[in-house]
Amino acid sequence: MRKKTFAAAALLAAATLTLSACGNGDDGTSPVTVASGGSGSNQVATVLDQPFTKPDLVLTDTHGKKYDLRKETKGHPTLVYFGYTHCPDICPATMSNIAVAKKALPKAEQNDLRVVFVTTDPGRDTPAELGTWLKGIDPAFIGLTGDFARIQAGARSVGISVEPTTKDKNGKLVSVHGTQVIAFSPKTDAGYVLFGESATVDDYTKDLPAIVKGAKP
Amino acid sequence: MRRLAVSTAGGLAAALALTGCSGSDGSGSGPGPGKAELTVGSSYMPQPVSADMAAGFLTITNNGGTGDELTSVTSDAAGQVTMHSTMGGAMTEKPSFSIPAHGRLVFKSGGNHLMFEKLKRAPKQGQTVAVKLTFAKSGPLTVEMPVKSATYNPSTGH
Repeated sequence: MRKKTFAAAALLAAATLTLSACGNGDDGTSPVTVASGGSGSNQVATVLDQPFTKPDLVLTDTHGKKYDLRKETKGHPTLVYFGYTHCPDICPATMSNIAVAKKALPKAEQNDLRVVFVTTDPGRDTPAELGTWLKGIDPAFIGLTGDFARIQAGARSVGISVEPTTKDKNGKLVSVHGTQVIAFSPKTDAGYVLFGESATVDDYTKDLPAIVKGAKP
Repeated sequence: MRRLAVSTAGGLAAALALTGCSGSDGSGSGPGPGKAELTVGSSYMPQPVSADMAAGFLTITNNGGTGDELTSVTSDAAGQVTMHSTMGGAMTEKPSFSIPAHGRLVFKSGGNHLMFEKLKRAPKQGQTVAVKLTFAKSGPLTVEMPVKSATYNPSTGH
């Protein structure tokens, strides 16, 4: 696994901010190179020194049933992602990357792994909508929806920022959310690895065998 | 070892950002005729989950001495195509994107993207989607955008 320091992440963040500053000229465009991360090696997986406690989220699953995240995923390796189904780019890419990587695990470990997609746009992502969308990616994935304030608090407890869905000036509904995937250990139930949005199928394929055992990737 | 590589990547990003700034302010530092010369490359669409929505990516390179502007994107395959920038996780629809002289306009995963909505049917891997790009000054360009796997990564090619 490629362990990163937060210093490196900060450096990258600084570089990104520089880009944003450039792009925000009066013509309102963002020209040229958004730093191409080469082989996607920018922000892959970080093992956390201070693991997160699993969020105390009791929401509704894609079957319309109550789902208690802590209870249902206790003792299982669990990946949690906050996103929404009307997201064109990162959300489907991230979930698809995990779905493909999961298939490389032995069958028993595939069944043990819990992949939980928590919507940040509960107004549109009903249990049925979520269910249809996830079925197109991996029918075993768990989709959760419910009260936005509760979802936001749960996300915040693991360091992920989520904002209420807003209407942009063209009337399009947009949800702003952190794009990290948090891996929770089956041994401690703590969130101990963070994957950035640039993590590829290969990165997940390499790291999941350790994660399903609660080991450091 | 790895740490070193990451720092280098950060430095590179900063350097590229600087280049972006100087390139965008203007009418081109070098000589060159008063015309944009646009070409399109690296286009692809990750196979979408459904026909509701798909993303598209491409790079427009301007080898000319004058900047131009991408003003609209259309496709027979979709009821609507819009252009978006992503900054700090916030996605914003834009009416146009500038293409600096001797520069590039990049749509890539995690950054700027094209959003296809109301697709006639969900595009499948192996198909292509015809996309027409319209510019402020140059004539329109049409690209046959290949549909790749949902997990396609242009830097590894799979």
